Amino acid sequence: MTAAPRSPKPPLTYNGGMPGRDDLVETLLAGRTLLADTPDHLLQVVDVLESYGEVLDAYSINLIYQAEKQFLNPFPVFRFLDGDHSPAKIWRHLIHDRINFEYAEYCQKAMLWHGTGGLDAYLDSEAFAVNCAAIVARKTGRDPLLAALNPLFPQFLAELIRSAATTHALGQFWRVMSDLFIDLARAERDGQVNSIPTLVTFLKDGLVAAAGAPITYAVEIGGDRFWVLPPEAGLSFLADVAVPYVEAVFLRGTPFLGTVSFNAQAQQISPDLAKFTYGALYADPLPTMGSGIPPSLLMQDMYRHLPERLRQWYLGVTRGEGDMRVKICMSFQKAMFCVTNAAIAGTFPHPLSGTDPAQREANRTYAAAWAERLCVARTDCLDDPG
Amino acid sequence: MADTLPLSIQLSWLIPLYGFAGMVLSVPWAAGWVKRNGPRPAAYLNLLVTLLSVIHGTVVLRAVLALGPQHLDIGWFAAADLDLRIGFDLSLTNLAALELVTVMSLVGQVFALGYLDKEWSLARFYGLVGFFEGAMAGVVLSSNLFMSYFLLEMLTLSTYLLVGFWYAQPLVVTAARDAFLTKRVGDVLLLMSVVALSAWAGSLEFNDLYAWSANNSLPGLGATLIGLGLIAGPMGKCAQFPMHLWLDEAMEGPNPASILRNSVVVTCGAVVLLKVMPLLRISPVAIDVLLVVGTISAVGGALVSIAQVDLKRACSYSTTSYLGLVFVAIALQQPFIALLLLFSHAVAKAVLFMSVGSIIATTNCQDLTELGGLAPRMPATTTAFLAGAAGLTGLLPLGCFWSFGLMVEGLTPRAPFFAAVVLLTNGLSALNLTRVYRQVFLGSAHPKTRRAPEVNWLMALPMVSVSVLVLLTPLVMARIDRVPGIGAFSATTTLMLLASGAAGVLAGSLLPLAAFGSRSLPQPVRTLQDLLAFDFYTDRIYRATIVAFVAGMARITDGFDQLVVNGLVNRIADVSMGSAQSLKLGVSGRLQTYVFTMAVAIVLLVGSLAWLGG
Amino acid sequence: MLSALLLIPFAGALGLLCWPGDLATERIRRAALALLGLQLLWSLRVLLAFDPSEAGMQLQESFAWVDSIGLDYRLGVDGLAMPLVLVNTALTLVSGICTRDLSQRPRLYFALLLGISGAVNGAFLSENLLLFFLFYELELIPLWLLISIWGGANRGYAATKFLIFTAVSGVLILGAFLGLSLFTGQADFSITPVTSAQLGMGTQLVLLGALLIGFAIKIPLVPFHTWLPDAHTEASTPVSVLLAGVLLKLGTYGLLRFCLGLFPEAWALLSPWLAGWAAVSVLYGSLAAIAQRDMKRMVAYSSVGHMGYILLAAAAATPVSMLGAVFQMVSHGLISALLFLLVGVVYRKTRTRDLEVLRGLLNPERGLPFTGTLMILGVMASAGMPGMAGFISEFLVFRGSLAAFPLATLLCMVGSGLTAVYFLLLVNRAFFGRLAVTPPGDPVADARLEVRLPGVALRETLPAMALATGVIALGLVPLGLGRVSEQTTTAMAQLPAVVAGLQAGGLLP
Repeated sequence: MTAAPRSPKPPLTYNGGMPGRDDLVETLLAGRTLLADTPDHLLQVVDVLESYGEVLDAYSINLIYQAEKQFLNPFPVFRFLDGDHSPAKIWRHLIHDRINFEYAEYCQKAMLWHGTGGLDAYLDSEAFAVNCAAIVARKTGRDPLLAALNPLFPQFLAELIRSAATTHALGQFWRVMSDLFIDLARAERDGQVNSIPTLVTFLKDGLVAAAGAPITYAVEIGGDRFWVLPPEAGLSFLADVAVPYVEAVFLRGTPFLGTVSFNAQAQQISPDLAKFTYGALYADPLPTMGSGIPPSLLMQDMYRHLPERLRQWYLGVTRGEGDMRVKICMSFQKAMFCVTNAAIAGTFPHPLSGTDPAQREANRTYAAAWAERLCVARTDCLDDPG
Repeated sequence: MADTLPLSIQLSWLIPLYGFAGMVLSVPWAAGWVKRNGPRPAAYLNLLVTLLSVIHGTVVLRAVLALGPQHLDIGWFAAADLDLRIGFDLSLTNLAALELVTVMSLVGQVFALGYLDKEWSLARFYGLVGFFEGAMAGVVLSSNLFMSYFLLEMLTLSTYLLVGFWYAQPLVVTAARDAFLTKRVGDVLLLMSVVALSAWAGSLEFNDLYAWSANNSLPGLGATLIGLGLIAGPMGKCAQFPMHLWLDEAMEGPNPASILRNSVVVTCGAVVLLKVMPLLRISPVAIDVLLVVGTISAVGGALVSIAQVDLKRACSYSTTSYLGLVFVAIALQQPFIALLLLFSHAVAKAVLFMSVGSIIATTNCQDLTELGGLAPRMPATTTAFLAGAAGLTGLLPLGCFWSFGLMVEGLTPRAPFFAAVVLLTNGLSALNLTRVYRQVFLGSAHPKTRRAPEVNWLMALPMVSVSVLVLLTPLVMARIDRVPGIGAFSATTTLMLLASGAAGVLAGSLLPLAAFGSRSLPQPVRTLQDLLAFDFYTDRIYRATIVAFVAGMARITDGFDQLVVNGLVNRIADVSMGSAQSLKLGVSGRLQTYVFTMAVAIVLLVGSLAWLGG
Repeated sequence: MLSALLLIPFAGALGLLCWPGDLATERIRRAALALLGLQLLWSLRVLLAFDPSEAGMQLQESFAWVDSIGLDYRLGVDGLAMPLVLVNTALTLVSGICTRDLSQRPRLYFALLLGISGAVNGAFLSENLLLFFLFYELELIPLWLLISIWGGANRGYAATKFLIFTAVSGVLILGAFLGLSLFTGQADFSITPVTSAQLGMGTQLVLLGALLIGFAIKIPLVPFHTWLPDAHTEASTPVSVLLAGVLLKLGTYGLLRFCLGLFPEAWALLSPWLAGWAAVSVLYGSLAAIAQRDMKRMVAYSSVGHMGYILLAAAAATPVSMLGAVFQMVSHGLISALLFLLVGVVYRKTRTRDLEVLRGLLNPERGLPFTGTLMILGVMASAGMPGMAGFISEFLVFRGSLAAFPLATLLCMVGSGLTAVYFLLLVNRAFFGRLAVTPPGDPVADARLEVRLPGVALRETLPAMALATGVIALGLVPLGLGRVSEQTTTAMAQLPAVVAGLQAGGLLP
């Protein structure tokens, strides 16, 4: 190593621009996309969503399996096996050659803990309590351990059932999203989606189409079916699960042990959950795969399901294979901005093309509320080509 | 080592190596060489080797029960009059401590599998825990001071690495550093004593040292300093005032490591102190210091813990407090009571910290003022907390009740002051545990505890198992302490103990909880609360004294180096070569200068020598 | 056998320089590495032939060279020289391997590297004072060229400073050697302690003083150290590795072999002062290191501190402390070379060594995690963490010196504690936290700054891994090195007593 001059070296740091609040409002109201429309962005978003779709498929199957087949099981040792107890599968799990379902549980816990929206409201309702009591009565009749614990800890089983309900609902939500993302990849291959705006529109249409789909959940105990989330509760895909999910995972999130101190005296974490900004749109991709960063699990899962085209593209950027999972995280963040963008576009109170001033004002208020939250998010990735 | 000994004993040098092997086995995953698959195999392998060490330890324990204590000795390094050995003392006490260490490590590792389920650096964590466990196993079995020091220092290193596990977190950056340096101060002082004993006493085997200390001829000052150095190491390890700061900082690390740190690591420190205790007869001052430090730590730690708003810290300061009592017991020549207290504290504190971990995992929060209402929903966590609290308090007939009873009974006639310290500490810690319990488990749910399902089975199972163990501690203690029996104390003692515990619980139940969060208290109370909440401002005192001193000295040295030493050199260059610029002359110029200087110098030197010699 | 250790590098250097025609840099590098590898293998062969049970010189080779001035070609190896030769051959190979992207004159560079290696071998193996001096000076010019041609921006100043300091050092040493011969009236420059005993104590002290200062510059000890941090900061990584790992050892070797070996009586007289000097040097180096913000300067000052232990050990001159001195030389060679290698990697990737700028380099994907891990290992070894080479060395030094100089030894131990302070500052500042390679500014903007450091290839860390393995191996199994050196160091420790005994017995004036 010498200090002699050599060919100019590429800069070691990159700083993306951050659109201000007003810019964001205008972008949203004009129907423009948040993410800059470039071929590289399209490639990254489509392919990363395809791998995400495959991972979500596995997550969804497992969450539904857990909620239905491992319901109130005190020792769910094999809960990630999806019922396949063959030695080969157990061995694959032992050597950790598998999807990291812990991340799905992490999202489920975040959703349950933040507890916003219709699903959460239903979990506190009288109807739910009645269903719960029936399930508990049946379950404690069959399980002496639970029978002994139930009178001492009266809310114990109800809380676990709430958790199972969220698990199942998230499984159903991800089922839809997984199919949507796989469809997106197909549509891009067919040429139907060829730019970021068409991509966002595709996602919006998919979300709008699924918006009213009902969310229900029943468990089978001793041959009888018990409703946990009955159809009459009227829970639907978009309002009761998708929106709380976006709130809990995209926006609020939970503080990472690897970047935030939980020390009460340091007061780094707000006591107000609504003020949390630890979600996917706010997270710093750089420490991915470090310690105490739960999304690393998701990045690893996507890394294992990466489409070849995106893999090749990554190999030519920065460290190639060496920092691929950070790059996946960055692309993923872009993709999540597209999904958020589609969700916002699909939930404007009134059509953006309308001319009624009152409607326009309502849309503006809605866009401003989003811009308020997005302007401190990691929007610096939106114009970064790499 | 006779050939007739059972293989398990002959191979007992393997016991610390299991943990270290676990660390080595974790490397492929920790270093990222396994890229496609996740890190869990490293965790499983570590659990496996820990299980092996538990089994091996148990087999050795049974063999020793049958055959009596054994000694194992291997040469490590010898030169001139120095002989450093690896020695294992397979006595019942040491093996019991080993069982405690390995079992707690096993349980902690299972717990970690649940607590760190979304942790990608799992392999690194398990590797470090393996390192940790290996060092601890070696420390408790060690039969000589050198090996004890060697492994204690490794414990310091692994503490640093475990506290620094989440290295990207801003507070961890300073916490890991401070934890290391605080312990390192104790270690360096201990090293001074180890080196001194090695030089003066020759052998570093504990038995030889005991014999040497019985008729040593060291001057008083030297002996005192050696004694102080010897207790400094354990003081650091056991987080005693004024070296307790690291335990607070260490709470930035992952909770499963905190479980081990608060239960068994401090126990290791105390075991080392027990081993050097007979040596301390050369230094009465050291014993007095032990008593003072122990008392301050016991009462101060208990008081500080009451004022904490952080769940982990409220429990960790109580560790300082209990180990203070252990120090008092050791200083007052009650090694057996110290052992019983260590054992009952370790088990109860471990389960308490597991409960804490499960609360943090569920609520993403360790601020007491934001917790509440968990009891009806979290059976395992609640049970574990209650079991731990009961085991730590001299109120219900669990571990600490019997230990405290024996201690109070033993001290009342000889040193009533210290008996009172025990009772006071008991009362204060009962108060603390009660108010924490009220705050976390009772009352109405807060936003962060509104949805709190019980934790997964990998955390619940160890919690429940150790809770059962806590309930069984009196039986284990009764087995260890057959004579005079763990209940060998009078009714008066029992009453005093119960009264102190009950007073603490009562006070804890009546204390207005809002006081911990509110800042509207009357000024004197608030000042006191702040004083305790910020740990007597110890970190600030350190920063204003030692840290400022070292930093100042460093600045002065650096300034001196640049201005005086380097300045002088440049000045001489100026004078001798016309200007400092000539230092930057061409190559040929420099070579000539060089030859010229050399010639002149030789002439001068030889001339002066001729004059001198003539 | 020993001559081959001179022949291989010198002939290689000449061959490289004189090879006709153009050679590609990579081919030159490979040829040089092959020669250095051969040299290492040969030194291992010497180790195999070495008989550790003997205290004196072995495998001797000699022929008269310039008889009239007492310059004999006499080589020999003992328990003091053997480990140092190994360190030299190993570290020169390492620094050859870690030489990358040479900008200019590769042929000269590698020839100089080989030349230094051969000269250092020669200095360690010489059994003749003048021969030693010849090699001692021979190593100087190549190193000066290495700094002044391939150095950093301010290399002119640093190289000249280095040259002048070491030139003065050489003058003093030569003067002392000549003086010794002059006053004893013998043109015999072989290393015999008895010679000096014929002199009066005053003359002995002056000669010893000259030698001491000469070697103190080379070691370096406070206050003759100012050339070292400058030389290190301007030198390239491989040169720093050589400088810290090998060349400083010439000074400590001289301290043991010549200061103690030629003037045992005067040495014993001065030893309390020397122990005090050692303590000052250790504390001074450590404290100055704390104040540094350039990683390389910090490591350089740590060298100043750690070389002080050797002076302490030599002052005490007990069998254990002398063995400790040998251990410390070897372990400092390995550890400081490791640290300089790693700092070099950091600098090459981040283009800075500023501790106020670097943060979070442990970042697993975009940082330098493996370098960071080795760095933690290296600083822990340097801070005397058990299980690594630094601990056993310091333990031996302290254990051997405590009885003789309690206060100085305790102060040196404080210095060992301070090592932990500055190296933890280094690790925690540069490697913990969020990744950053720019000066801290607005926290929000900093948290969004993307960092794109180039990756570290496996081959770039291989030399460091090899050194780290050596550091751990020596720390866990020190017995091997102990066996090699024990007889010699024990014999050296008894020199003052032997000479005193001879005098008391009337065998000497």
